[in-house]
Amino acid sequence: MRLPLFAAVCILLRTAVAVFADEAWNVDYHYALLGEPQEETTFFHQPNPTSKASLIYTLSKRGFVGAVNPRDGSVVWRQLLSPNLTSSTSQGFLRAGEGQDTIVSGYGSQVAAWSAADGRLAWTVDMHGPLKDVEILELSDGKIGSGAKDVVALSGGGSPAVQRLDGASGAVKWQHKFQEGDEVYQLSASTTEVFAILLHKTVLGYIKIRVLSLDPVNGRKTSEYTLSSENELASADTIISVGANSASPIVAWTDAAHSVLKINIIGTKTVSSYNIEKQGGQTVENIRIHAPYHTTSLSHFLVHYQTATSHWADIYHINFARSITQIAYSLPNISGKGSFSTSTSDANVYFTRITQDELITVSSASHGVLGRWTIDNLGVVSAPHEAIVPTHTVSELSVKGDSVSAIRTAVLLSTGDWVLLRDSKPVWARPEALADITSATFATPSVLEDFQHKLDVETHSNFVGAYLHRVKRHLEELKHFPSYMSSMPQRFISGFLGTTDEGAMASDSFGFHKVIVCATGNGRLVALDAGSANRILWSRTAVDLGSSETWQPGLSSRADVIVLEQGSGKSQQTFNATNGDPLPGIPDTHDLQAGPRVQYTLRDGVLEATRTDKANAGSVWHFTPMDGERILHLVPRPSNDPVASIGKVLGDRRVLYKYLDSNLALLATANDASKSAQFYVLDTITGSILHSSAHSGVDLQAPISSILSENWFAYSYTAEASDASTKGHHLVVGEMFESLVPNDRGVLDAATNFSTVQSGTEPFTLVQTYQTPEAISKMAVTQTRQGITSRQLLAVLSDVEAIVGIPYSALDPRRPVDRAPTKDEQMEGLFQYAPVIEFDPKWFLNHQREVLGIENVLTSPALIESTSIVFAYGLDIFGTRLSPSFSFDILGKDFNKFQMLATVAALAVLTFVVAPLVMRKQVNTRWQFT
Amino acid sequence: MDTLKLKKAWELALAPAKQLPMNAIGMYMTGNSLQIFSIMMVFMLFKGPIQAVLNIQGTFARLETEGNKSNMLMVKAAFVGCNCLALALGIWKVNGMGLLPTTRSDWLAWETAREPLERAYFVPS
Repeated sequence: MRLPLFAAVCILLRTAVAVFADEAWNVDYHYALLGEPQEETTFFHQPNPTSKASLIYTLSKRGFVGAVNPRDGSVVWRQLLSPNLTSSTSQGFLRAGEGQDTIVSGYGSQVAAWSAADGRLAWTVDMHGPLKDVEILELSDGKIGSGAKDVVALSGGGSPAVQRLDGASGAVKWQHKFQEGDEVYQLSASTTEVFAILLHKTVLGYIKIRVLSLDPVNGRKTSEYTLSSENELASADTIISVGANSASPIVAWTDAAHSVLKINIIGTKTVSSYNIEKQGGQTVENIRIHAPYHTTSLSHFLVHYQTATSHWADIYHINFARSITQIAYSLPNISGKGSFSTSTSDANVYFTRITQDELITVSSASHGVLGRWTIDNLGVVSAPHEAIVPTHTVSELSVKGDSVSAIRTAVLLSTGDWVLLRDSKPVWARPEALADITSATFATPSVLEDFQHKLDVETHSNFVGAYLHRVKRHLEELKHFPSYMSSMPQRFISGFLGTTDEGAMASDSFGFHKVIVCATGNGRLVALDAGSANRILWSRTAVDLGSSETWQPGLSSRADVIVLEQGSGKSQQTFNATNGDPLPGIPDTHDLQAGPRVQYTLRDGVLEATRTDKANAGSVWHFTPMDGERILHLVPRPSNDPVASIGKVLGDRRVLYKYLDSNLALLATANDASKSAQFYVLDTITGSILHSSAHSGVDLQAPISSILSENWFAYSYTAEASDASTKGHHLVVGEMFESLVPNDRGVLDAATNFSTVQSGTEPFTLVQTYQTPEAISKMAVTQTRQGITSRQLLAVLSDVEAIVGIPYSALDPRRPVDRAPTKDEQMEGLFQYAPVIEFDPKWFLNHQREVLGIENVLTSPALIESTSIVFAYGLDIFGTRLSPSFSFDILGKDFNKFQMLATVAALAVLTFVVAPLVMRKQVNTRWQFT
Repeated sequence: MDTLKLKKAWELALAPAKQLPMNAIGMYMTGNSLQIFSIMMVFMLFKGPIQAVLNIQGTFARLETEGNKSNMLMVKAAFVGCNCLALALGIWKVNGMGLLPTTRSDWLAWETAREPLERAYFVPS
């Protein structure tokens, strides 16, 4: 009785293929990304008011609020505000009160306060309507330092209202509701009043700005006035800025042609008007206002004009006595794009201008340059001759006397990198564009591709030819010998001490250094090295996208060529995978074999297949889901899915033949009315259904994922609670065989080829259902070069922000149910079926790391059979190498080189020492008589 | 004298058969796992009979006379037969260890997957 149990435990232990401790931080890499920071919601702030150390806080385009350490660029904390990853248009707000240890975010309809030091949630309030603005009240009622400052929030939607929330608890102190009719736009708070800016649409369609001033103590309206802006404002887009929370907030707007700038100091009715002169004959494309954000600062602000080729700025001072604004001085026109940031130090205000090659700091009071640095290198990867443009910046500086002694500038570049410059030296760069990858693919660098090709020649030619080829290859490699020898000591030392820096792509004989090419949401292609963590190989612009444009390109690779398909017309571009150079022409599709070909595609909720060979082109079949059903997704069997063994060897050495057909696809449909999900395994030549299953009571809000590989498929769904069962996550695994009788190949028997059109064979499918503790949002399967290595099902668990690699042996549908496995089954590695699969902690590929928002997982084979390369993307980037059957063809890190060398050395020494002794003894035995 | 020699020769010829039960027990005891010890045992089991058959003339040379030559043929045949039995024991053992390619799985590597005549490709819309 004990023995089988023990054997089963042994097998369980054996299959627990895991991440080894010595590999954990070595073979894997992880970018904890935030997404591109937004200009309005990024700032330096001291999390601890008593200390000078500050962090950079941001609310990014991807809905992350987080803090980054300016010293090394590491994420101190981050919180995802939108759990459903739909990149909503709501821009979000992030505010920090002066000397406060909390920061307040507004996103969607939620206002939340976070501890600035560690990101713990202090409170959250739902505003019942889309947020229009969130501000922190900096009241000058004398009670400075009396706890948390209160928050005012403006919400739009059906019942627009302003609410004052208690800074410590989030409780509503007062609420001011607006009459419907006018669109609420923004809030602004001075030290004595709260202003709500409303947009009043006139009959002619123009907009008048209405300003309501509210008493911050009780929320009652104290006064109201309307600014005559109807000459310029046709839409709210040309309102440049509503200066908030400064000593004297302003509202500024322009007309659609950017020809006149109008400024009003909120609280007064005078509108100052400034004509914008055209410089260099170019029209002004963009106007931005940069103003300090502190009530104690001087009320100076900067207006930044940007044309297509140059930019300049004017600095304005507000005159309180006469309540007008006036231009103090101007900053000269510089060609190219630039960006400005505002910093404060006590009451003084400083403006920092960053252009493509220079960093200049001026004081708001006078035009004297306080600091000027030349930027040589931004430390980011870009295409050759590409102009890297600063998009927006924040900076923090310290001033000694008349000059800036130190300045730290966090600048978002047009490449999507977020770079911190200390003076003008880049300290770190975060590739935030990678938080928004739309498509990605693996490619082989050309060096590796050549090597792989040579190896293929050797495997496919005859014995003698292969041998000669190999000798020739080794002779050719001799020319690398001197450089190899010179690098030998370094390699030896690094290999010996275990500090291997696997940087060189040229000497990659294991094929780990694959190129991962990602298409990012800002229209760029970024290539990563799968073998060395955190290395960006190249980055280039693929398309010029406007600010609101998105693209959904398709990326694929043929050897070392990247093919980018985009747009409805499917225009193709090709790039070299190694260096990103665009290649002329479109790669020929000679690798596709001749013979009848069927193409199938999902269009308008119907799966359609057409024959594309010339002989008999035309529609073959189409799959229309039943009434009320919609197609969720389709998973074809991967085109490159090598299978080493066509059968499964049983314990008694008989064979169960796998049903291997490269034309299979798994289709998932859902019925919203009956809350059911259907899964079909289709033969895509004939369109016939080989296996189907329907599940009722499915929670269609929960993720449904599926995978098809080799001769098995898997899908997962979440079942609703019913009378018979509780709510739970199900994972169904099906395996298809040619016959369930061992040693039988079904009706086709030993035929070497087959056509499902003529023979119509059907597989025999074994299905088993498991319960998993977490919902699986995406599945992938490991791929190796020849398919000898056993496979792992990679499942993304979005709820626990993890990826697990489940060994296939744990999912095998042939696991014996309700009985202990027989001896033969034990030999095969089967163990008793248990309905619940507990995820072994060792299966978690990400171990300690938190990988957020993974949308897709890609796998690719390495050159050595044991290893599969994994790359996961979404919000975060995670990559690792997996050896599902252990690293049987490569020495692991656990191999003790030192011990081996020591043994050899000891033996050598021993031989030299003992040899004379033995010699003498032998001579003595000849000559001496006892 | 010839009778005595013949008797001695028969004794020699049947000696391998007498060792058979002991060998069989030994083989049974070593189990069917592939370990260095059992592999050595099996190797010895094969080496012994083959060597004995090859040295058959030398083994019986001093017992062979002109007179018993015809009878000696029978003896030698019996000797070869007994050694064959020992070999058979070795083959049984090797089969038990799973080293004989007698099952379908041993020839699986030479079987190929059926090639589909048609190919289908998914084109994302």
